[in-house]
Amino acid sequence: MTAYIQFLIDVLSLGGAYALMALGLVIVYGILRLVNFAYGELIMVTGYTMFLLGGSALPWIVMAAIGVLMAILAGIATDYVAFRPVRAKSVTAVLITSFAFSTLLQNAALLFISPRPRNVPLPDIFSETVHFAGIVTPARNLITIATAVILLAVFAWVMKRTVLGIAMRAAATHFTMARMLGVPANLIISTAFAISGFLAGIVSLFWIGRIGSVVPGIGLEPLLVAFIATVIGGMRSLQGAVLGGFLLAFIDTGLNYSLPQELLKFRDAFTFSLVILILLWRPAGLMKGPASGQRT
Amino acid sequence: MTLFARTLTGVSAAAMLLTATVASAEEILIGGALSLTGVQAPLDEPGFKGAQVAVKALNDAGGLLGKQVKFVNIDGKSDPVTVGNVAVQLIDQGAQLIVAPCDFDFGGPASREAQSAGIVGISTCASDPLYSSWSLGDKQFTLSMWNTTMGATGAEYAFNERGWKTAYVVTDQFIAYTKSLSKYFVAHFKALGGEVLLEDSYTNGDNDFSAQLARLQALGQKPDVIYISSYGTDLGAIIRAIREVGIDSPVVGGDAYDDPALFEALGDKFGSDVYFVTHTWMGPESHPDMPKFIDLYKKMYDSAPDTSFVATGWDTVMLMAQAVEIAGTTDGAAVAKALEDNEFNLLTGKLSYKNAAEGHAPDKAAVLIELKGGKPNFLGWRRPENPPAP
Repeated sequence: MTAYIQFLIDVLSLGGAYALMALGLVIVYGILRLVNFAYGELIMVTGYTMFLLGGSALPWIVMAAIGVLMAILAGIATDYVAFRPVRAKSVTAVLITSFAFSTLLQNAALLFISPRPRNVPLPDIFSETVHFAGIVTPARNLITIATAVILLAVFAWVMKRTVLGIAMRAAATHFTMARMLGVPANLIISTAFAISGFLAGIVSLFWIGRIGSVVPGIGLEPLLVAFIATVIGGMRSLQGAVLGGFLLAFIDTGLNYSLPQELLKFRDAFTFSLVILILLWRPAGLMKGPASGQRT
Repeated sequence: MTLFARTLTGVSAAAMLLTATVASAEEILIGGALSLTGVQAPLDEPGFKGAQVAVKALNDAGGLLGKQVKFVNIDGKSDPVTVGNVAVQLIDQGAQLIVAPCDFDFGGPASREAQSAGIVGISTCASDPLYSSWSLGDKQFTLSMWNTTMGATGAEYAFNERGWKTAYVVTDQFIAYTKSLSKYFVAHFKALGGEVLLEDSYTNGDNDFSAQLARLQALGQKPDVIYISSYGTDLGAIIRAIREVGIDSPVVGGDAYDDPALFEALGDKFGSDVYFVTHTWMGPESHPDMPKFIDLYKKMYDSAPDTSFVATGWDTVMLMAQAVEIAGTTDGAAVAKALEDNEFNLLTGKLSYKNAAEGHAPDKAAVLIELKGGKPNFLGWRRPENPPAP
């Protein structure tokens, strides 16, 4: 029994982080039909902000808030620098500009800070453990689960009940129609980038909380995870992204638990085989998004 | 462009390079293919900085064979293909020696190009036994001890010095280095009479150690020692995960641990009872010349070295210089012979190589470091008695 509880906590805490990563990626994709390849760098931005604030006397929670704020600003900057100037003209151009912005941010960290890992301050509670029902688990895992649940609930409420959320969903369903009815396009898109940055910032706190340090390439893995999760879940669906995140965490953790040692070395091969099977069964992902309008 | 025109440009470019080389006959060009960007940068950038300090020191002391030494590094971008291309470019520019990146997977291509141009290539700190004359050619070397020595030193420390009899081993399936290091630890630990309770795998980049941890906890007995072979920031994630759930068995590992960022990431709470085998120690205890090197480094960069890997760059250039002095030329075969026939006293330990038929196996001592309260302490030099065969 304890083994199952342990497994459940492991899946949920990893899945919570994955789901938030995927949500941050899909919220921009849903509206623009464009993958933001600079998404991983938003996670890096929070990390380096925390590193730079590390020597100061600020309480951790303030540093974390500034770190998340910087990710939001970096998200909005992505829109202004990489997307807005070219998005109406060519998809290819946006692909390249978002890659370029990603490289630019990474190399800035490389050049002005260091290619070597830098330490990030962590709150004491991240190093504490909780004992219950015969298992020992880091408090951080439980905080990750709680944060993911709260954020997902708030996010669902915003999307369903507020004017902003309804406007964003309208824009994701049929952008041109939404614009004709008075939804301001630039504002909606910038907001999507800001939310994307916010989610990346929060994820960054927990992701780096596992590692304890930040490197210029730290965003690669979260970007990959978010991308795979959204592909499984359905590129157009917000619920799908969340489901995809948890499913990917379940697959990864499940394989980690169950594969024999000789096969564990090839775990990624098993993960991706399962992903392929899911896509063969449901080519558009597990959840269908809104009926697609034209790309804007 | 037509083929003819391309050939023509190629020929004229080659001619220009030729004149350039002739014009600079007064200097010796050392080419570097070290990666200053990408996943390999954390290990190559310190080597690059150390190499520059060494080149300046050489030139200030009158150069090499009466000529000035010039070090040109082109970013290998942590991409084996780029590393190989960069080496070709440097050799075209007249490089007489090649400094290869600090890893077999990333550095091998540079050495292969050096070999086919008939010149000596030395990797700053590749430690996988694949970095040998067997796989790369009779003019290729690595400054580092092999993983055979690195793994065996850890095993001897654990079993002989501390009397730890049972081990739990984690292997990151990332690169040749991470896979072979724990292989040699396990081989030597068993040969000494130790018992390996469980060997587990980890995937680099996961930052999730929960399943492995569940298996470790399910062992029913606490291992005397935990051996972890991983790479980069994942090491911090794994050790933190183990310590967080209250498993306080000592942790042993290799030179990937030798990174101040890891010490800080573990902090004084988790940064104790960690032991690792590495290349050197940045203090006078390891080598009488170490303070001099640190001084020169500070003069050049206005800050103290933040990792001992800077010494591998210095040593690589100094090793080349000493071998060239002995050979009296930069000719590949002569320098390779000088490297095979002599013992060199370096900041990273005394070094002699076996001959090409025996793989250029480095005979080298290793440094053992203990982490206590997040602070490293020098435990001394070690040389395993009978390391496993590669």
